[in-house]
Amino acid sequence: MVKQNDIDDFIQKIPPTPEALKQTISFLKIGELTKAAAAAENDLALKSYLKNIVNKPIYGFKNEVSDISQIFGILGVSQSQQTVYNYMINLLSPKEWSLFKLNEKSFNDLQANLSKKWSIILQHLDIDDENISSSISLLPSSIIIAEALFNKYIDDVNLLRTTKALDYNTILYRISKLTLFDICEQIAKKWEMDSIISEIIQNSSGAYTSEDSENKDTIKLAKWMHLLLFYELSQPLFVEAGLNDFIDFQIEFVSDIYEEFASVMEIS
Amino acid sequence: MKAIVKNNVGLFSPQGFLDSNNNSAFLSIEDIDATLKLKVDMILVSMKKVIFFNRNGLDIFIKLFSKIRKLNHTIVGFCDYDQKQYNSIKKFYKDEINFSLFKSLDIAYLFSSSFSDKDKKVLVYSDDKHQRSAMAIELHNNGHYPIITQSEKEFEEKKVNREAYDYIICNTYLGEMSNMIASKVSGNAIIYTVISYLDTDINNTFNIQYHNNSLNVGFRLFIFDAYKVISMNVHALNFFTKLASSAAEYNATIAFVGLSFDKTPAIFKENLEDAGILFYDQMEDILENKELLKELGASSAANIKNKRTINKATVAELPRFIDATVATIEMMTNSKAIKEAAQVHKIEVNNRKGKIASSIGYYGDLDGMVILVFPTEIAKKACELLIGEETNDMELILDTLAELVNIVGGRIKTLLADDSINVDITLPRTYQDIDSLMEVVHDKKGVQVDLSFDENKFLFFLTR
Repeated sequence: MVKQNDIDDFIQKIPPTPEALKQTISFLKIGELTKAAAAAENDLALKSYLKNIVNKPIYGFKNEVSDISQIFGILGVSQSQQTVYNYMINLLSPKEWSLFKLNEKSFNDLQANLSKKWSIILQHLDIDDENISSSISLLPSSIIIAEALFNKYIDDVNLLRTTKALDYNTILYRISKLTLFDICEQIAKKWEMDSIISEIIQNSSGAYTSEDSENKDTIKLAKWMHLLLFYELSQPLFVEAGLNDFIDFQIEFVSDIYEEFASVMEIS
Repeated sequence: MKAIVKNNVGLFSPQGFLDSNNNSAFLSIEDIDATLKLKVDMILVSMKKVIFFNRNGLDIFIKLFSKIRKLNHTIVGFCDYDQKQYNSIKKFYKDEINFSLFKSLDIAYLFSSSFSDKDKKVLVYSDDKHQRSAMAIELHNNGHYPIITQSEKEFEEKKVNREAYDYIICNTYLGEMSNMIASKVSGNAIIYTVISYLDTDINNTFNIQYHNNSLNVGFRLFIFDAYKVISMNVHALNFFTKLASSAAEYNATIAFVGLSFDKTPAIFKENLEDAGILFYDQMEDILENKELLKELGASSAANIKNKRTINKATVAELPRFIDATVATIEMMTNSKAIKEAAQVHKIEVNNRKGKIASSIGYYGDLDGMVILVFPTEIAKKACELLIGEETNDMELILDTLAELVNIVGGRIKTLLADDSINVDITLPRTYQDIDSLMEVVHDKKGVQVDLSFDENKFLFFLTR
């Protein structure tokens, strides 16, 4: 099963943030959309990713949007930063998925769906903060980490799961006392993401979370994120990909926001 | 999604949202086929992790239930729901509910005839008097003590005294129950419970595959608990005669307990006796008589004429069996498992105190049994990944050791398949002390291998 050196290897192999991305994010942070677009132009892969992602149906643009400054202009600062972070997470994703039945397109769809719906949630909660907005980008990295750590052990995991319904997060925690979300935090640190991003992600597992007066707001956002994740992972594409039970759904953690969530997502 | 089988109950655990968009994604055709092949008492869908569902979302499971019922009469239904979910399911299906609803999985176990936990005091309430009666009968048949409350008021009053009951049942609904013949293991005997009229239907309701597996893994005493049988006809007579003939090939004994011949021709008893079937008035006459048990083959293999010994085919595959055990222990502990010594002899367990064991049988191209013996503390370490918390709950430890041995069995099956040897595995069995293990294997020769991980020693024994 997953060993400590598998975890160490993964963390060690997280690439540093490419220079063009660093510049793009720095400009986005100070609201310089034009300069950010110019910096992004230097990274062809980022450019292609941005074009691809904003032209997905969920963004609802009638005509194709291809110019980077136009993309940033339409998205605004928060969503632009979120999309650039999505690209960074995408850099970690494997060329070929084996544990989960995913591919580049379906993973990008998941990112786009989460991002768009997270924006709707933040709008509903009346929160306009680019770091909180970007926090959703880090969430799918938990899936990449599970893929990277467990893909060598598919047979073991399958055998184990014929006997007991253990999710990947629980298996990892019992083996290493680390969760998938602890490793997400490592990514956030290495990429110098704002600490609020890793705090929300860390709590969004819902499994090892305790609420107190100091972290009340973070926990509230983590609950929305947890529920959004399961809403998305209940979509047929992701159920078929084997993602529905990749972490344990903490139904009690989110029960107090469910009605509100259902109303925001128009679930009837 | 596959059902996970525990205590003879197959359980699906979908998470999140269940609606018409995604319901078929939860159950592929392959999943449905695999479920239909399961030989279990119940197939249930847990609603514990479902936050939203509508009728369309449940329909895929209802269709599966219907297929299962048609094929093998297994109990099917939902469990682990809250009040709101219970009301919704009842509202969605109104008069078409032919599946069951169990408030929790533990409550479902009470209605499973193979569940070993018996003698539970159970407080029951349903606003439907037919349901109250049905639950009382089923619970009673499964060896529990139901206390039925006739009104909600009475139920609320009684349930205040929570400690007086092992279980409290409400918001539970029994759909079509299983008409399969219940089986349970008592010591080294298999007890089948037969009721009512025994006729040609017994060919469908008796799990012959389970019976044959039990013979293959060494059970030699089969008791039919027939206290509640009213009569049998000639088709049932033929069935039991054939069963006795096939048992004779294994030197196994078949006995009837409590069968009355008031409404069954007396000649049938003579025919059955001629076939080698024994008759007793009370179950205690057999189970509490150690001498008789020994004579009937239930406490020792010594009186089996054609004693099955470890053979060349099994020894040739020994590395596979050890590899499966080593790989499982390594997977569970992330430590290197080491083989220390291997010898062919009868099982030898030194310092028996504080040791527990688990076994699993396999049958098919090869047959036999793998036994693992652990000191309790080391069993806990080996099962840490499955247990996940500090515990001294012996029931939980034994239960988890059974899961570990089940994984070993699964791996043996896969490794042997690499050599084109096809075997199936039985359900695992646990022994809370070495004396009870010895009752089964003390006279059997086999290969004993001392294994260890992190200097924690345990014992592997392979026998037939």
